[in-house]
This record gives sequence, C-alpha cells and structure tokens, in this order.
Amino acid sequence: MEAVNGISEGKADYKVPGGKLIRVRVWHRNGIIEKVRFHGDFFIHPEEAIEELENGLVGKDMSGAESFIDTFFERIESAGVGPEDFKRSFFLAMKE
Amino acid sequence: MAMRLIRDTHHPAAYNMALDEALLRLNDGPVFRTYSWEPSAVSIGYFQSIEEEVDLEMAESMGVDVIRRITGGGAVFHDRDGEVTYSVILPSGHEAARNSAKESYEVLCGGIVEALGILGIDASFAGINDVVVGGKKISGSAQTRKKWGVLQHGTLLYDLRPEVMFSLLKVPDEKMRDKMIKNIYERVTSLKHLGLNASRKDVEDALVEGFSNVLGEKMKPSEPTKDELALADELMGEKYGSREWNFRR
Repeated sequence: MEAVNGISEGKADYKVPGGKLIRVRVWHRNGIIEKVRFHGDFFIHPEEAIEELENGLVGKDMSGAESFIDTFFERIESAGVGPEDFKRSFFLAMKE
Repeated sequence: MAMRLIRDTHHPAAYNMALDEALLRLNDGPVFRTYSWEPSAVSIGYFQSIEEEVDLEMAESMGVDVIRRITGGGAVFHDRDGEVTYSVILPSGHEAARNSAKESYEVLCGGIVEALGILGIDASFAGINDVVVGGKKISGSAQTRKKWGVLQHGTLLYDLRPEVMFSLLKVPDEKMRDKMIKNIYERVTSLKHLGLNASRKDVEDALVEGFSNVLGEKMKPSEPTKDELALADELMGEKYGSREWNFRR
C-alpha cells in the first residue's frame, strides 16, 4: 500500500485451517513496525497478552517479529490458532 | 460441595456479562447459570473490533445492546427468544479446570451434547468450541481462564432469525449478504428447526442435567449473593457499560 508520511499500512484477513479468522493491520516505516493490531475470533489465554504481543512488535522488522511471535506463543495458551498462523497473517499484511 | 445453580431470567447485556465475571471472581466453588437477553444483544469476542463486526447504527435503531465479552471467539446475536445462554464457573482447583483450554472445551461442551441427548437429539462436539447436529452448528461457547478459575459461557440456539442477525453483523462482502441469509440453514440449525417442541424451561432443565452429569456435580438452587450483585453493579458501571471497554479494540 502507498506510504503516507513515510508510513505504509498493510492489512490481511487470514482464515486459519479449522475456521478461525485473524485480521491484521500493520503500520510500518521501511519495514520497521510502528503499530500492529490483531483482531479475530480466536482464543488466547490470558486474553490481555494480545496487547503485550502488539506492543512487543513495535520497532521490529519482519524477522524480529517472527522470532517475537514464536517466543510469545511459548508462554501463552491458545485454541484454534498458533504461532504459524499469526506469522502467516502478519507476513501477508506486511507484503500487501 | 454441590454446584450452585442460578436460574436467571432476561437481563440487559451489561448485567449478563458483569454477573458472569462477578461469579467467576468471587467463586468459592462451581457455579452453573442459565440466562437470556432483554433487549436482544450482539456480543463480540475479546479480540474483535466492534466497528468491524457490528453495524452500530442498525443496532441502535433496533434497540439492540452491543457488548464486548471477557472471552475470545466470534460475534454472536443473542435473540431475546432465540436462545438459552449458560455460563459455567469452575474454581482453579477443579478437575475440569486443570485441563488445557482445548480439553476443557470438549469436557464442558459435553454438557450441551448430553443436554441435547436428553431432549432426544443426537449431537456431537466439533472444532474448537462448537456443538453440531447433523454437521450443523447449534451451540457455540467461549471461555476465559483467570487466577480465580475458568468461566465458559455459550448459547444453545432455540430459534433463528437470519435476516435480523445479518442486518446487525457485518459481512465480509455486501454482495454476499442475501446469499449468506439464504444459505445459513446449510451451516446452522436450532431446536425449532429440528422440530423440537420443548419449552425454554425444558431446555434449561436438560442443560442443568447435562452439565451435572458431565461434571459429576449435584446442582443446588441458589441466587447471586449480595457481594456478587455489588461487584456486578460495579463492573456494569466501570467496565461493561463503558465505551472504553466496548471500543477498546
């Protein structure tokens, strides 16, 4: 997507095998994440951890983000989605 | 200790969600509650964007409550007379609460499968958090796991008004709306569509028996305590009735 003030915005709706939906919106400057939001009908426990994930991705590039998502999923419990789904949806949004 | 049974009636969305959370926070043992919604409401999952999921203008014009749940999962239209809603609270030490989320969905949704069996309907657990009859969804549930224990709430569809549901819930593509309404009976069913002529009380009785059986707990009729109602009142004002909570994502 075209950059405004140097910030590009990407979004993706990713249907996880099994049916859950991850909707990602990401704002980045030359591939460095400024803000990201994950919405959807998945389950993560504790729920509040999603904000730690979103905040923790700020300042990272694609490769740093993928490692962060892997580490994040080691310490939370999820149902219907896993780290590969989040990485896939994030990749699609960044590449838009 | 017997499981507390709270047979509740119709309430606004903020009260329903606030009381579920209050029962979870203050529990000193397992609780089972049945309830419904007045006015009808749309609840969205914890991770959803309210603006992406709900036509807020339509909800306001129809007098439908819109609320964010403490639990994940998808957006649900809670039709006043179209469903029986349940919640189950298990303290953190309870055997069924020690399971993983995936395992406990199967155990707890087993209560709904059992209830449908009591009503003469052959149902099964499907996916992560659904119960299906003949491959069609009849019940969805969502749970949260906190330091106080596990709360799972969910619905059992009694009747279905797809045209109302899809006027409130946003669809991915407007051109698909009519098709989605027309085709919903390929994916979803309800007790009425299965030809079951049971009263709401019959359905609630079956749920009580079903959950009692799968959890191995006797149910004892109870009411929310003064402390639970006070906490629910506080949560209604500060959380579930607030724009900050409902629009937080």
